[in-house]
Amino acid sequence: MASFRAFLNSPVGPKTTHFWGPVANWGFVAAGLADMNKPPEMISGNMTAAMCVYSALFMRFAWMVQPRNYLLLACHVSNETVQLYQLSRWARGQGYLAPKKDEAATE
Amino acid sequence: MAASKVQAFWNHPAGPKTIHFWAPTFKWGISIANIADFSKPPETLSYPQQLAVTCTGLIWSRYSMVITPKNWNLFSVNVAMAGTGLYQLSRKITHDYSSDTETAVAKE
Repeated sequence: MASFRAFLNSPVGPKTTHFWGPVANWGFVAAGLADMNKPPEMISGNMTAAMCVYSALFMRFAWMVQPRNYLLLACHVSNETVQLYQLSRWARGQGYLAPKKDEAATE
Repeated sequence: MAASKVQAFWNHPAGPKTIHFWAPTFKWGISIANIADFSKPPETLSYPQQLAVTCTGLIWSRYSMVITPKNWNLFSVNVAMAGTGLYQLSRKITHDYSSDTETAVAKE
């Protein structure tokens, strides 16, 4: 109970802007997860690539900003993972990545 | 005179040698990607992604005005995100609900 109260009153807690901005950014992670099973033709290469660069930069930003924002860091690590996976699905769908089964067949 | 202003900018604690500059600056990439996608057919747009772009843009626009100091760069980039997100959402909603063909509804 005491640690929950400490969280509520912390300088990056739910009474501050440092909390709700990062919460909004989890929307990108949720959207990426929701789109994981969509056909690759529906993935936007532009948006997914932009997200990969964006989350990489904001991981560093979250670490360096004062106060250090672990919630934002966790959000962007998760988003980077999801967006890189979506980017690989898009690239494979576009023919940029050789399918693994062809490499195995030529061995 | 101009040289010292450039130097002041270059050496600023939130200037181009730091992540505090590049991270918000690169956030424009999301809006630019979205603008590039204005010409994509609405069937390929993603409701979850555009909702995330719009909501993030709206929330961060407000909070960039509440922090100290006010961050106009962050404000403008998030206004742009909310704007492009809303436009893409309106394109997709118009497409999905204006035609009464079964294919438009079945895609959901």
